[in-house]
Amino acid sequence: MKSLIAYIFRRLLWTLPTLLLVAIMVFFLVRLVPGDPAQLILGDQASVEDLAALRARLGLDHSIPAQFLTWLGDVLQGDLGYSITNGQPVAQLLLDRFQVSAVIVLTAVTLAILIAVPLGMLAAWKQNRATDLTVVVLATLLMSVPSFWLGLMFLLTFGLTLGWLPVVGFVPFSTDFGAALAYVVMPVATLTLVEMGVLTRMMRASAIEVLRLEYVTHARAKGLSERRVLLRHVLPNAFAPTWTMIGLVLGGLLGGIAVLETVFTIPGLGRLMVESIFQRDYPVIQGCLLFTAVIYVIVNLIVDLCYPLFDPRVTAR
Amino acid sequence: MKGRLNFLIGAALLLVILVMALTATVWTPFDPLALDLRARFLPPGGAHLLGTDEFGRDVLSRLMSGATQSLTVAAFTVGFATLFGTLLGLFSGYVGGTLDRILMVISDAVLAFPGTLLALALLVVMGPNVYGIVLALGIAYTPSMLRIVRGTVMSLREREFIEASHVIGNSEWATMLRHVLPNCIAPITVLATSMFGWVILAESGLSFLGLGVPPPQPTWGNMLSTARDHIDRAVWLGIFPGLCISATLLGVILLGDGLRDRFDPRTENT
Amino acid sequence: MKRRSFLTQVPAFALGVSALGGPLAALAQGTRPLRMRLNADIRSTDPGVNRDANTDFIMSHVVEGLVGYRDDASVGPMLAESWEISEDGRTYTFTLREGVTFHNGAPLTSAEVVWCWSRYMDPETGWRGARDYNGERGLTVTAEAGDARTVIFTLDTPNALFLTNLARTDCGQTGIYHPDSLAADGSWSEPVGTGPFMLSQWERGQYLELTRFDDYAALDTPRTGLVGDKTPLVETVRYLIIPEDSSARAALLSGDIDIMPDVATADYAGFQSNPEITTDNVPGFGVGGFLLQTTDPVIGDLRMRQALKLALDAPQIVDILTEGLAEANQSVVPPGSPYFSEIMATPFQRDVARARDLAAEAGYDGTPIVLLATQHYPQLFDMAVMAQAMLAEAGITVEVEVLDWATLLDRYSSGNYQAMAFTFSARLDPALSYDMISGDKAEQPRKVWDNPKAREVLKRSMIESDPAQRQQLFDQLEEMFQADVPMIPLYSGNRISASRAAAEGYASWSVGSPRAWGVSLDEA
Repeated sequence: MKSLIAYIFRRLLWTLPTLLLVAIMVFFLVRLVPGDPAQLILGDQASVEDLAALRARLGLDHSIPAQFLTWLGDVLQGDLGYSITNGQPVAQLLLDRFQVSAVIVLTAVTLAILIAVPLGMLAAWKQNRATDLTVVVLATLLMSVPSFWLGLMFLLTFGLTLGWLPVVGFVPFSTDFGAALAYVVMPVATLTLVEMGVLTRMMRASAIEVLRLEYVTHARAKGLSERRVLLRHVLPNAFAPTWTMIGLVLGGLLGGIAVLETVFTIPGLGRLMVESIFQRDYPVIQGCLLFTAVIYVIVNLIVDLCYPLFDPRVTAR
Repeated sequence: MKGRLNFLIGAALLLVILVMALTATVWTPFDPLALDLRARFLPPGGAHLLGTDEFGRDVLSRLMSGATQSLTVAAFTVGFATLFGTLLGLFSGYVGGTLDRILMVISDAVLAFPGTLLALALLVVMGPNVYGIVLALGIAYTPSMLRIVRGTVMSLREREFIEASHVIGNSEWATMLRHVLPNCIAPITVLATSMFGWVILAESGLSFLGLGVPPPQPTWGNMLSTARDHIDRAVWLGIFPGLCISATLLGVILLGDGLRDRFDPRTENT
Repeated sequence: MKRRSFLTQVPAFALGVSALGGPLAALAQGTRPLRMRLNADIRSTDPGVNRDANTDFIMSHVVEGLVGYRDDASVGPMLAESWEISEDGRTYTFTLREGVTFHNGAPLTSAEVVWCWSRYMDPETGWRGARDYNGERGLTVTAEAGDARTVIFTLDTPNALFLTNLARTDCGQTGIYHPDSLAADGSWSEPVGTGPFMLSQWERGQYLELTRFDDYAALDTPRTGLVGDKTPLVETVRYLIIPEDSSARAALLSGDIDIMPDVATADYAGFQSNPEITTDNVPGFGVGGFLLQTTDPVIGDLRMRQALKLALDAPQIVDILTEGLAEANQSVVPPGSPYFSEIMATPFQRDVARARDLAAEAGYDGTPIVLLATQHYPQLFDMAVMAQAMLAEAGITVEVEVLDWATLLDRYSSGNYQAMAFTFSARLDPALSYDMISGDKAEQPRKVWDNPKAREVLKRSMIESDPAQRQQLFDQLEEMFQADVPMIPLYSGNRISASRAAAEGYASWSVGSPRAWGVSLDEA
């Protein structure tokens, strides 16, 4: 137990340089990008004096390193600043938007795992037979459809033609559970299908690897039932790499979900990030990217800590 | 001959796409960029086999020319990520120590950045052109390759044949090239083939957000992305590029599976 | 309307959550809100301070000015019943309407007007219009109260555009709000205006909800622009923020929104043939076209710019861009303007051979001209692609470079481009239309037209108040503009809205705004 805590501590310590690097990258990358928030706020009618005045008000007239130090100092004190666009505190914005994205991402990934794991196992077991090819083709098709396209198709089919589900809008779960559910069904379904493709393929590949290992042959030779071999011996070992993949997927999705959030008009973190980039809302972009980096680090830490649960070899060490 | 069927189907699909892309460099039925404002939204059939788009451009010609673009972008990006990822991964895993630590911090930082967003930011800096996309996606995907190679190298480092190579008096370089690298080929192949698909998809996602390869130069991604505005009157504009992406991905994945089976030393035992 | 309620209920049953009552409970409350699309969130509720077009038009429901624009962009009375202009054009005496109350019940008096003016003129406020009245641009305006219903504005020099400027939407219509709008520390809290609606809820990134102001004192003149009869006919209005066009279109078709105020021209035909949907199409007041950098080594040659203009088939481009709904217009003055004259209506002449000759005379050697465009406004991208193909016919090579909107705007304001597809927002007076392009590039690099003689004429048109005299000046400007070709305007755009049958009375407006007053909801 003690070594576990020490391990977590060491891991967290090592994330500090990573996070600092992310902070530096975010800040300077964002400033490198041409475009001026003051210009965007004032539009095509802005005069030179108006622009200068607004830049001064936004603190954009200082040198970039100076701005960075101010920002970093504030962040270390837990102050992420205020949105240039609408004056809201960035921390508040992030938390509000994160909740929405997290619900969708977590539900979708859970569902995707529940479908992908058995499907991948099945394909691996029936490798190179018709069932396998069907699963591979299906998974590939799912992987090869851009999520916005799948989303739009859902929107048109279930929202418009069949009229089963509302097309736009969002209600927080805390306000009205039933209504909220109706709004998130389509985005969750889309994301589930998209992620299912990747995970099925991953599961199939690692299960095939495991099936080739000697101890599976041994187990079969010992006369264990096929069912037992698959569930007891293949599944836990094959799940390990998939689990790593899940970590990557979860971490990446918070940013990657932007496209779906745009199609389904969901006020999530991804949309916030993309919109803030287009509006050059520096404090929000910086806050978003730093926040997702932290989430990514945490998710991967959790994934690593859970590893022993699935991979017997890790426990043994 | 396990994996033979998948391999053959994959190879056949890719061959068709590749022939299409290569043909497009010398010949397309129509000029893919030529506007014909009197022939907008012609449905498939007739002179325009796959119909025309919102500017009366021939969809088939654009698909062919798009194949060239999409495959080039994907090939260069995967090439970039594989080259740098492998090199850095070899060093990181083999040399270890401080260099390894630094590289891991950097790759963690890049991975922690949402890939699309890194691309988005870089694209705005570089300007949305083919080089910008290749560089942006290349940088975003390099750490994954680095990690896979590094992991493999680390597991190999302690193995007997590496020791043996040293004992015979082979230099570090020779050992790395002759003994370590060949053993990394299987995981590299698998990742590279998956990446190929990711790039084509990522490019279409960027197009959706208005930052892909700038039209009028067609790519499947930007064709698919603009098609959404005309979905209710010209559904074929979305279907054909979508099918091309799916076919390519399917081909690459099946081929990748087949290749892995070939390269994987363990396969020969069975 | 049976269909609509059926649709709302299905998801509840389908998901087995009807017992939880979500959608059904909302339905049972009887009146549902009027739902309209907004393509992006507003920036703040402080009129004319932190704003964009959406902010301006949402806030026009809540806060009103002394005067405001009519449909045809002329200026009409709103909170002012009438005004008198002194002989020398330097004193404007406004009489306020009787019986107007703020949302907090307080009556509107001259005190609030003067108080607002002093807040506007305070540099700390950061009001967009401040520089137009504080002397920095050559005009100083002061306000004082007469009796409770009289406000006197004094100008140090006569100015023909004073009322037009007061009505400017980007300055929040110089709206009058109650001092209660500020928090105790003097910062902006929430708008307490006189408008037909009150802002009741703002879920950032999701929706804005407006509630009817029951004591609204409506004018008895017909509804027009941001003035006239603004009676609210529905209890609540909900503006749903839907950034993606294809999603908004689906939402309108499925009945999830009632009104889409900004329909893309490509969707017009589809909506028009749909019996459940009413469309309204009006000409716009903006300008879309190509800016040409006159200081560029290649494009700087007048013959080259003329060649570009002659090589374009502008009517064809506009026909495609607007699906035949708008006419090509080579002036920056929109056809809807009362000053739109014969010379401004000069049609485009395409002459590819002549273009080729001019390019040759200018010594053009085939080097690609870089034309900047963005996909943020699809029409800018489309016009660039079409121009590229048309110019190729005249032997002029064009490379289209696609940038995101912020970058394009940055290049615009620094003047760092060869050619650019650009769109200007609505200018409601020809003087403002010419002013948006004319200026000294050394001082303001964003200005595309640097002609000192034209600037002189423009200056006179801003002081002159006699319409006939102004017309003459504008015609003179147009002639100079067409001779210099610093820009190739293509069209003034159009505004299309689509409403479901249940929502009655919505009208598009050239200046473009999702106006919810005068719209009723028939849920029979």
